[in-house]
Amino acid sequence: MLAAYLLIGAGLFVLGLIGFVTRRNLIIMFLCTELMFQGIVLNLVAFGRYPLDGHPTLDGQAFGLFLLAVAAAEAALALALIVLLYRYRDTLDPNVWKLLKDE
Amino acid sequence: MPSALFVILLTLGGAGLYLAMPGGRFHVGRAALIVLLGAAAVLVSLIAPLAGPHEHGLWLALLALVAVVGALRVITHPRPVYSALYFLLVIIAVGGMLVLLDATFLAAALLIIYAGAIMVTYMFVIMLAQKGGGPAPYDRAAREPLIGVATGFVLLAALTGRVLGAGGELGGAPATPEASLSNIVQVGARLLTQYVVGVEITGVLLLVAMVGAITIARRRAVTEQEGEFR
Repeated sequence: MLAAYLLIGAGLFVLGLIGFVTRRNLIIMFLCTELMFQGIVLNLVAFGRYPLDGHPTLDGQAFGLFLLAVAAAEAALALALIVLLYRYRDTLDPNVWKLLKDE
Repeated sequence: MPSALFVILLTLGGAGLYLAMPGGRFHVGRAALIVLLGAAAVLVSLIAPLAGPHEHGLWLALLALVAVVGALRVITHPRPVYSALYFLLVIIAVGGMLVLLDATFLAAALLIIYAGAIMVTYMFVIMLAQKGGGPAPYDRAAREPLIGVATGFVLLAALTGRVLGAGGELGGAPATPEASLSNIVQVGARLLTQYVVGVEITGVLLLVAMVGAITIARRRAVTEQEGEFR
C-alpha cells in the first residue's frame, strides 16, 4: 500500500525537478517547485496513514498544512519578484539575469 | 516485482521525456508524447496491484495516471497558460489521492488554496507577462534537456529501486483511523497542542510574505539608461 504512494510521490518530485532544471521560463520554474511540493505532501500523508511502526499518526497531515502555508507565501513573493523582473527586462528568461555570474 | 521491466520502463520514460521536451534536438512532438503516455500507463498498471485488491487500487491507478500525465504536460507544454491548467489537473488528482489516504481536510485545503488562490495568482502573472505571437523563444527550447532528464531519471531509478526493494517491509497493515472523531477535529487538536509554536510562526511568515510582496510589487522599475541598474 505504502509503496504505491511512495512511487507516485517520487515520480511527481522527479518530474518537477526535471522541469525546474530544463525549462527556461521563470513562471514555469516556480510551477515546477509546486509540483515537487505535491510529491512531498503525498509522501508525508502516506507515511502518516501507513506508519512503519504500526501506530497511525496525524503528523503527516499537520506537516502538509504547514507546507501549504509556506507554498502560498513563497508563491506570493516569487510572483511579485517575477513581475518586477519582467518590468526591468521585458522577458521571463532567467539567462538574462547574470549580475552574479563570473564572466 | 520484475526489476528488469522497471529498468526498461524507466529508460523508455526518460527517452520519451527527452524527445518530448520543447526544442530538443530530436523534437518529434506528438509521437514522443504517445510513447511517454504508454510508458506511464504501463508503469501505473504495475503500481496498481501494490495498492491492494479492492477498488481502492483502481481509483489510485486512475488518479496516479492523471497526476503523472498532468505533470508531464506541465513540464513539456510550450505555452505557460496550458502548463498552469495541467498543473490544476495534478492538484485535483493529488487531492483525490489524499482523500484515499483519509486526509479529507488536507485534500479540501489543498484544492481551496492551490486551485483557488495560488493558481489564480499564477494565471494573472502569466497573462501580465505575455506577448502576442506564439510561444516566446525561451519557451520553445529547453535548457540542456539530455542532462536534466538523465539526472532526474537516475534519481527516480534510485528511489524506485529502494522502495521496491523494501516492498515487503513497507506493506504493513493499514492503520485504522479513530472513527469517533472527524479528521478535521483530530488534525486541529494536533495543530493547536503539539504544533502550536509552528502555527504562530506560520502566521508571522504569512504576514511577512504579504508585506514583502506588496513592497516588491510597488517598486518602480529603474531603467538602464539611468545607470542605476545593469
